[in-house]
Amino acid sequence: MALFLAYDVANNPLNTNEWAFPVCEVLHIIGFAIAIGTITMVDLRLLGIGMKKETPADLVKGTAPWTLGGLALVLISGPLIFSSDPNLYLHNQSFRFKITALFLAIIFNYTIHRWVALKQASGGVAALTGLISLVLWISVVFGGIFIAFV
Amino acid sequence: MPPEFIQWLQDTSIATAIRESALVFPIILSLHLTGMGLFGGMILMTDLRILGIALTKHPVSDVVNGLRPWKHLGLTLTATCGILLLWCKVAIYYPNPFLRIKLALFALIIIHALVFRSVYRNIADLDRSPVIPGRAKAAAVLSMILWIGVVTSGRWIGYWEPKNEPVNAAKVVNQ
Repeated sequence: MALFLAYDVANNPLNTNEWAFPVCEVLHIIGFAIAIGTITMVDLRLLGIGMKKETPADLVKGTAPWTLGGLALVLISGPLIFSSDPNLYLHNQSFRFKITALFLAIIFNYTIHRWVALKQASGGVAALTGLISLVLWISVVFGGIFIAFV
Repeated sequence: MPPEFIQWLQDTSIATAIRESALVFPIILSLHLTGMGLFGGMILMTDLRILGIALTKHPVSDVVNGLRPWKHLGLTLTATCGILLLWCKVAIYYPNPFLRIKLALFALIIIHALVFRSVYRNIADLDRSPVIPGRAKAAAVLSMILWIGVVTSGRWIGYWEPKNEPVNAAKVVNQ
């Protein structure tokens, strides 16, 4: 607690080094592009509109390490960006929306999304799963951008 | 380009409406980033598959051909939004060196597509090839470097500010 109270954002390298903040943002963008891009590949397959030569199970297995790597990059760069001004983010409605959507999206991805893809579920269930996944991840991106506009 | 033309572009009614809307500008920006999220990752996966790093259990042609229409859709979405974002603040962005770097990278991406056209046209050849040819590997590595460069220069556009030239007294007096 004492450590927390002693934290002064003005001394955070993200606020003192001109390059640190935009570098974190670039890593954040590359990370979410890898994570969301690979998840979208599975979603398109579940929706029955893309990557039809592969099975959903093969796609989810093949992309899983890259999805995880992208998420790791996002979950390292994200909290660093947050640390530059925690009070601003905590009181930002769009940030709260984004974190809620992110939390739901990650849980959904590693439970229902994964099971449905691995178990080769029927068309309707698969399509609905792909659609929910897409909506959740797009919500995360919109929530992130709107932090700067609310 | 003449500054009057750049200013006129920014002052057109559509550009002004986008720029001044509290909602339209961030929505277009979000779609610009959504396009990157959904499809930028697919460009990387295509390149990593050609390099034999990712999705190695799937034939190269399945991955490259399967992702192609979606990458094109994503590129269309991202580019359309990007053009709108640039248009509505073009007089502000015009002198920005990072915008120029980004546009130069796009020129290199077009050259890349022309130079390596044979690699992507005959992608099924890689399925039968025991080793990935150097030309295909070069195409994939350069593609990743160029696109990461585009994201980086794009992000840096927002951090550059024109330096206010100190008033040159001698110049003013001599005018």
